Amino acid sequence: MMRGIRAIALAGLLAPGLAQAADTITFGIVSATSGPLAAAGKFQINGFNLAMEKLNRDGGIEVGGKKYSVALKIYDTHCSPAEGASAMERLASVDKVPVVLGELCSPVAAAEMPVAQDNSVPFIITVPTAESLTEQGNPWTFRVNADNNQLNKSLGQLVVNRAMAPLAFIAWNNDAGRGGVKSMQALLPADVKVAYTGYFNVGEVDFSAHVSNIRRSGAKAVMLFMDEEPGALAIRQIRDAGLDVQLIGTLAMGSGRFLTRLNAQYLSGMVQYNAFPPNAPLPRIKSFNDAYVAAFKDESHGFAAQSYDALMVAADAVHRAGVLGNGEAVRKALAATRYDGVIGEIRFDAKGQANPPSYVTQWCDDGTRKIVFPEALASACGGG
Amino acid sequence: MLLGLGVAAALLPVLVPDQPYAVQVLTLSLCSVVPAVGLNLLFGYTGLVSLGHMGFAGVGAYAAALLMKQAGWGFLPALVAGAGMAGIVGLLVGIPCLRLRSHFFIIVTLAVGLILGTLFNNLDWLTGGAEGLPGVPRPRPLLIGELRIVLGTAVGFYWMAVAVTVAAFVVQWAVVRSPFGKSLAAIRQDEAMAAARGVNVFAHKLAVFALSAAIAGAGGALRACFLRVAAPSSFDLGESINLVAVVILGGAGFQAGPAVGSLVFVALPEVLRVASQARLMVFGALLVVMALYSPRGLLGAAVALRRRMRRADAV
Amino acid sequence: MAFLEQALNGLMMGSIYALFAVGMVLVFGVMRVLNFAHGVIFMAGGYMCHAVMTHVVAFYPLALLLSAAGGAVIGAVLERLVFRRLRESLPMQIVASLGLILMVQNGVLLLFGPEAVQISVPAMRTVVPLGPLGVTLQQVLIVVVVGVAMAGLHLFLTRSRLGTAMRAASQDLQAARVVGINPDRVFALTFALASGLAALGGALLGPLFLVFPAMGDLPLLKGLTAIVLGGMGSVGGAVLGGLAIGVLEAESTLLAPTDYRDLVVFAVLILVLLVRPYGLFGRRLRGEP
Repeated sequence: MMRGIRAIALAGLLAPGLAQAADTITFGIVSATSGPLAAAGKFQINGFNLAMEKLNRDGGIEVGGKKYSVALKIYDTHCSPAEGASAMERLASVDKVPVVLGELCSPVAAAEMPVAQDNSVPFIITVPTAESLTEQGNPWTFRVNADNNQLNKSLGQLVVNRAMAPLAFIAWNNDAGRGGVKSMQALLPADVKVAYTGYFNVGEVDFSAHVSNIRRSGAKAVMLFMDEEPGALAIRQIRDAGLDVQLIGTLAMGSGRFLTRLNAQYLSGMVQYNAFPPNAPLPRIKSFNDAYVAAFKDESHGFAAQSYDALMVAADAVHRAGVLGNGEAVRKALAATRYDGVIGEIRFDAKGQANPPSYVTQWCDDGTRKIVFPEALASACGGG
Repeated sequence: MLLGLGVAAALLPVLVPDQPYAVQVLTLSLCSVVPAVGLNLLFGYTGLVSLGHMGFAGVGAYAAALLMKQAGWGFLPALVAGAGMAGIVGLLVGIPCLRLRSHFFIIVTLAVGLILGTLFNNLDWLTGGAEGLPGVPRPRPLLIGELRIVLGTAVGFYWMAVAVTVAAFVVQWAVVRSPFGKSLAAIRQDEAMAAARGVNVFAHKLAVFALSAAIAGAGGALRACFLRVAAPSSFDLGESINLVAVVILGGAGFQAGPAVGSLVFVALPEVLRVASQARLMVFGALLVVMALYSPRGLLGAAVALRRRMRRADAV
Repeated sequence: MAFLEQALNGLMMGSIYALFAVGMVLVFGVMRVLNFAHGVIFMAGGYMCHAVMTHVVAFYPLALLLSAAGGAVIGAVLERLVFRRLRESLPMQIVASLGLILMVQNGVLLLFGPEAVQISVPAMRTVVPLGPLGVTLQQVLIVVVVGVAMAGLHLFLTRSRLGTAMRAASQDLQAARVVGINPDRVFALTFALASGLAALGGALLGPLFLVFPAMGDLPLLKGLTAIVLGGMGSVGGAVLGGLAIGVLEAESTLLAPTDYRDLVVFAVLILVLLVRPYGLFGRRLRGEP
């Protein structure tokens, strides 16, 4: 309820920005450290921190023949458009950061983008998935993560191939949930029947009404567009009610953390799209996951990997731009990015959208996962 | 007095140039001053608490955003249309709800705010749904004869926000001084007495409710145009409750209350941003202290302080 | 049949709303205070239960009782320090509640982190078959505990001296004072009782669902709706209001798109008030026309 407090200030009039050390480049981060999305924000910030440490360990960023160490300035935007806009303005004009990265909520990103443009500061989105963000014709905005359509494409294919219809949805009634449902419905062929759509508010915990309706609708599969916390509750309630449906989930649900919330029996057979299957037999994924586990004693998360790559891409662009204090040079360098990140190759299209690979993983009976899509990477249990 | 403040506010970016962040922050607080003026008329001068007022601001915001985006209207006509739309919705809501009394009325305004918020979030075809309506265009330059005023820049938009805010304050000033405003004050004091003196209580309440919703709608339109996106989260229950806090913090029933409240309410969390994690806790504690020791808001406390100092002088 | 099934589904959340609403209506009836911070006490109950279970003793019934007691203490402290002095001013109650919500929610965030915590009581996960529904033991427990608490509250209010004093204070404070009732004691007791019930609600939901900083926000809205529906002053009305909202929420998923469920609930509230301006079981308050 409280995230609405607008963070605005006279402080800018009175307090000059913290003086930067001459040999440090500070990147701006917008995320959520409080409010209902704080848990997701933690993964995001972990990813940024990991990238910062890695950059500094490797000697910092070289710009025009001089080495700079890397620091982060993190502002909490509480998923509020007004706070996002003022945080972006502050990062751009007071803290004078070369690039701003992050954000969790699509509407907030939409409010931050024009401010970034006005200040000639490139903005790299690392989590929000609304397709509309990269359709605004804003050349200062880039997105490393896949949008709803990119994420859902392989999953939609799987629904058709495995004849999972009729389909039911349970989704958050917010930008993430509604966007997921809308995009999936647009991707599915017209003859795939959607038997039920159940929306719920962020923070709601009882799904029994939806479970009853899904049983009556005769749906063969249930697709869940939500985060791992409500996701675990929904799956438990579906299984406890004895509903024998194919479960289909989002990237938050293909993780060891998710398993500890439930158990192998509940999850067995469930498929989910994943931007970053942590156990995939790929060196780039494995080394990132090892580093993440060492730093945070927890399995890595797609949000962390996307954010990690975004900071690496930003550092690379500042390096290639070769000058500091020139937003246009950094923007051009970003647009020309060719970077092999932990989530895959990152290059931005004309709209600033990257096209990282997405995966579909499936839970095995023993609580491990396997990759089922793309077929070239299909793995045995334990490799997802 | 008002005019002076308006001129001072307008001159600020000229006197203190190159502070884009301060301009941003000031503009954003003006975006909450305007709906706060609306609520002040309703709550401060008539005694009716509305916990759903940002819902009306949202009606104005979406109406203006759609007119600018889809129909290519200019900012000022869209703002006026948005305010009118919010006023009409306020009128329609007020007709049934103003029959209710005290706490029942408050909870119903909360319900109305939640219903409007649900509509903003769910009507994908109209409002863009939960993702909001991005890409609200910048205001076009204003042409007065040969004079061309650029409103698309940050400072240009700030001046326009100042103009809209001053207009809202002028309306408040005119209403409060008018016979209509005197009747509102009588209703606030004692409804039965006002009715006995021949005031049509319901009509007065309805008129001020619609006017207050319209002013809130103008504030919402200003905010959507400034943020360049109309999003459900800008007009939800939390924002509505914050708006009540703004009005009370400044001093409900003081003409300058909304301005003081907005500046403090939006500035303080930012000053406390240095303490980052704990800032909202500290701010919460300050609200509790204010509720206990300064029930008439900051202006009320200032008035009391001045009176005490005068008395001390006299002694 | 579908409607019956959904009614049963709605009963569980409905009884949580009822527990919530009863506390709010007690405080409002006796003190004329609308405590919007009731939700954070509910949340605190969940966290206290979790703390007891993990750090003291993993015995759920005891944790339930301790959480309720802890909630009562918090309530008494809040009443003494904050709400006793705000009895005259509804707007200040809102501002103070807002401040308390900010303090407590962010304090919890600092202490426990942003992730939801889970109270693990495996025995309560047992599924009890009930027709087509798979109801867990915990859901049954919730309905039963709430029922017992309501019955106990009813006995307390009608049979005990303190309860009688509370009812007397809610009906006419001046008269109660004349017959020797100390209003301050009654206020503290009322607030403690209401807060204890809220904390009990949070502790009850914990094992089935999750415990997180904002867990009291939605029940607060529904609790407010319930007391208004019930008539703002009637304990029985608040219970029925809470249950009715829970059931209505579940039934509405059969009648309207699910994203309009809240709209249905609040529209029904407005319609009811248009027909009965003082709620289903309310009467005009003294001094009101």
